[in-house]
Amino acid sequence: MQFFGSSEISPSPPAPTASGNNAHMMYVFNRNGVCLLYREWNRPLRTLDAQQDQKLMFGLLFSLKSLTAKMDPTTAEKGNLGVPQLPGQGCSFHSFRTNTYKLSFMETPSGIKLILVTHPRTGDLREPLKYIYNLYVEYVAKNPLYTPGTPIKCELFNTSLDQYVRSIA
Amino acid sequence: MAAIYSLYVINKSGGLIFYKDYGSAGRMDTNDSLRMASLWHSMHAISQQLSPISGCSGIELLQADTFDLHCFQSLTGHDAYDHNHNPINEVKACTFSVLQHLMGSFASLVPSPNRITYLGKIHLLVQDLKTLPASRDKVFVVCDPGTQHMEGLLKHIYELYTDYVLKNPFYEMEMPIRVSFSISNCLRRYKRTVLPC
Repeated sequence: MQFFGSSEISPSPPAPTASGNNAHMMYVFNRNGVCLLYREWNRPLRTLDAQQDQKLMFGLLFSLKSLTAKMDPTTAEKGNLGVPQLPGQGCSFHSFRTNTYKLSFMETPSGIKLILVTHPRTGDLREPLKYIYNLYVEYVAKNPLYTPGTPIKCELFNTSLDQYVRSIA
Repeated sequence: MAAIYSLYVINKSGGLIFYKDYGSAGRMDTNDSLRMASLWHSMHAISQQLSPISGCSGIELLQADTFDLHCFQSLTGHDAYDHNHNPINEVKACTFSVLQHLMGSFASLVPSPNRITYLGKIHLLVQDLKTLPASRDKVFVVCDPGTQHMEGLLKHIYELYTDYVLKNPFYEMEMPIRVSFSISNCLRRYKRTVLPC
């Protein structure tokens, strides 16, 4: 189970790679699979329309999580394949890499899923994702005008996210 | 010390043709290992669809909390086509059974107000599988996080597979590997000579 100490925004963690815009896109899902945010910086290829793409992404993460929970070689008590896991329960994953992209994934205790798709040679993005989650808490969750479970339309969040992602990847 | 937990070889339709466990806790039974193989096969294919750049050939490395999964795809692949020259997707049938299974678990465990949305999502996932590209044999290995030299190991295993299995005149394509030579022996020898453990 991961916990994120204080709620105030910590100083920006060191950038894992050299500068340059390597980030492709970012997804934020809530625990019901609703896509709260989709940002796109550099995406030459689109095979599906936006809604289908988001659904497929959520489905991929969900199934990969049940795969890793079942495959976990360190515990004997794993339950059946496909049993829904609560956030933080069972073995999850933090990234996967293909020859064209790297996907970094973080799930918070409240079930918010943050997904960042970057260049395949990007380093470990767990700390940057925690920082992005802090941005979400500060600018979205604490915003009195934001209704939980609806798409994020907070200008301040979007600009600070853009700025931060540009600095890390 | 570098620890390898298990090794899988799956054919191009997502069927498990070789599985060996090297001491992970709670060994998987045959049914589970078959399900895992076809689930991995379909996740691999879906990851290609979500790529922001063309030319994606699927997941090479999955980093989980307690293990790393390295996957190697065979260099040659034969795509199957029907009489209209449309690619045939055997993945679909295989994956469908896994998803059916998942749906079964959902139906009993998801509280009823959410049940419909979850089932709807899985139905959509099944529909999306129609557009999957044809695929190739895969070898994947589950090991300790941060284990090095796994690409070399997988290439070596793939060479063994081509030499001892595919070149064996008695081996039927796509069928489970029952060749009397043991991949695990070769693997042990390879680990002793190449891996720094």
